[in-house]
Amino acid sequence: MRYFVMLIFAALAHFTPTPIAAAPEKLSSSEMQELLTTIDERQRNGGDYKALAFIEQKERGKTDLLYETVIFRRDEDDKLMILFTKPKAESGKGYLRLKKNLFMYDPTVGKWERRTERERIGGTSSQRADFDESRLALEYEPEYVAAEKLGRFQVHHLKLRAKPGVDVAYPVIELWVDANTKNILKQQERALSGKLMRTAYYPKWNRTFSPSKKAFIYFPKEIRIYDELEKGNQTLIAFRKVDLNSLPRNIFTKAWLESKSR
Amino acid sequence: MKRLFIIAFRNLLQAKQRTLMLSLALSIVALLLIILLALSQGVANTMRKSATILVSGHINVAGFYKAKVDDSFPLVTNVKQIEQTVLNGLDGIDYTVIRQRGWGKIISANNRIQVSIHGVEIEKEPGLKSRLRMALQSEYKEGGQNKALGDINQLQELDTVAIFAGQAKKLEVDVGDPLTLTTETLAGRVNTKDVRIVAILKDMGFLSNWTIFSDTRGLKELYQLNEDTSGAIQVYLKDPDQAEQAMATLRTVLSDAGHDLMEHNPNPFWQKFQIVQGENWTGQKLDLTTWDNEVSFLKWAVTGLDAVSLSLVGILLVIIAIGIINTMLISVRERTREIGSLRAIGMHRRQVLLMFVLEALILGVVATTVGACTGAALASLVDSAQIKIPSAAVQAILLSDTLNLTVTPSQILKTIALFTFFSIGASLIPASRAARMEPVKAIHHVG
Repeated sequence: MRYFVMLIFAALAHFTPTPIAAAPEKLSSSEMQELLTTIDERQRNGGDYKALAFIEQKERGKTDLLYETVIFRRDEDDKLMILFTKPKAESGKGYLRLKKNLFMYDPTVGKWERRTERERIGGTSSQRADFDESRLALEYEPEYVAAEKLGRFQVHHLKLRAKPGVDVAYPVIELWVDANTKNILKQQERALSGKLMRTAYYPKWNRTFSPSKKAFIYFPKEIRIYDELEKGNQTLIAFRKVDLNSLPRNIFTKAWLESKSR
Repeated sequence: MKRLFIIAFRNLLQAKQRTLMLSLALSIVALLLIILLALSQGVANTMRKSATILVSGHINVAGFYKAKVDDSFPLVTNVKQIEQTVLNGLDGIDYTVIRQRGWGKIISANNRIQVSIHGVEIEKEPGLKSRLRMALQSEYKEGGQNKALGDINQLQELDTVAIFAGQAKKLEVDVGDPLTLTTETLAGRVNTKDVRIVAILKDMGFLSNWTIFSDTRGLKELYQLNEDTSGAIQVYLKDPDQAEQAMATLRTVLSDAGHDLMEHNPNPFWQKFQIVQGENWTGQKLDLTTWDNEVSFLKWAVTGLDAVSLSLVGILLVIIAIGIINTMLISVRERTREIGSLRAIGMHRRQVLLMFVLEALILGVVATTVGACTGAALASLVDSAQIKIPSAAVQAILLSDTLNLTVTPSQILKTIALFTFFSIGASLIPASRAARMEPVKAIHHVG
């Protein structure tokens, strides 16, 4: 499957009418910072954000799982909510991020529990950061690895290390950023020991106009995540129906999420 | 009697070569038995020591929590209140500790291993701290220094672990290196966190291959447990031999205090998941075990060693018995005329019988004492040398990475008694043949 994704990259590049650019030049420290800021800014709405997201989990020896969720974001207040709507057994379950804390609500036990950044959303290989706004420039220090080719794409390969005191899922991540479009194409996340934990591919990016930002915002149409610890486990997140209109003020509260399962 | 003893002793001295050969055979078998018993006792001691340091108290107050009928979580809720009930209700407690129990993987950049994770509050575990030994860097790292790095006391810091030298070697890590800890939470989800190695400990046999210590707060975070929920209360007694009686008392104490108790099952907690899952109850039930129960799955090693030892020594004893019977029959034949003369000057049949039995007794006592004492000395020497066992398979059988032999005075005494009794038994046939001889026929015996 991973090779299939790589083939998509190659095919997309092949049929792209634009000529293949020459190898990108190595970025300076300020240019890397600027690149990360651009990636963050292009995904940041400023106002509210709502999207329908399907999460499919494949695990070796287990039945495939498919969840339908609704993602709510209010970037200016650092708030995020993931509400599970399907299947019925999972309906009403949700995650709420308030400032730096991530809470999970399970309606079957009626309790809220604090979760870490490495919480696997709904037991899949996805994590909070996959659904939240991008904060790469704020949370990481970049280091240039190389100008490379990923399939037929010219990419900047960066290694990011978490800034001291910042709570992130993984302290080291490697990014392969399309030199032309500045979209992330591949991301690898490593534990402190250097062990590779996850590899994520971003084969499709979309953009939509934001009235509040008065500019386009970018979002991945899908993310394919490969669990590097449990080989064979993979997760697909597909984002649909991105809506940038204002959300009700009271939506990012525990009470609101609890009300969804009553 | 004294005269008979002297005659028997002189007879033995007269047949020097025969006596020497028989003594040598008896000594060697006694030596072998002592060494095998010392090995078996050494394994039993290693098992008890490792178990009570690494995975168990002398008594464990653990249990299962079931939110739903088909759950099976090895947890104790309201653990502090239960600990207080234990402390108030049982005499002879040295100290108690609360241990978080977990099972997962530790992952380095190069390797990973499955481990049993013990969440400890190291500042409250004086027994553990005093009995764990730090490994020298050279024990787990090629070209490492001959000094121990790290500090077990740092285990009180969040997200820290102490691992054993064999694990460090396999993971290719050193003190200060990060590791990733991954477990499956009670909700069935995989959770991971990065931890720092604060100490690398000397291996403690088979159990230390798959045991690590972590700070209890970090492990609770990983398992998403609250402050007052843990794995087990480990109770250490002033007299560990009283564990069975103390457990029975504790069952009454806890039952009287209103706690539901599981039927006693003398197996480790991890062998009870399916049983509990199939039981029709919800809520909390306590499960009490002794250290012996928690390592019952390792008893095969001691039982196996004992079986091999006894079979081997049994076969050798039969061979020796045949030797004794044969040698003494030859002796009776050679000394027929002498026996006839003794009978003619008034020695009773019973005295003749006793004379030959005394020969066997002297032979048995002297040869076995020499053999058993040599064996004991040899076993003590090997034990103090702490010889490393190179083969992992042998390490698994002996539950240790070094050769541990323990000799007890009772083993020596039992061996001497057994062998002497055996020698006497073997001498009865030739002795009774000698006693049955007619004096006249015996005197005229030719050959």
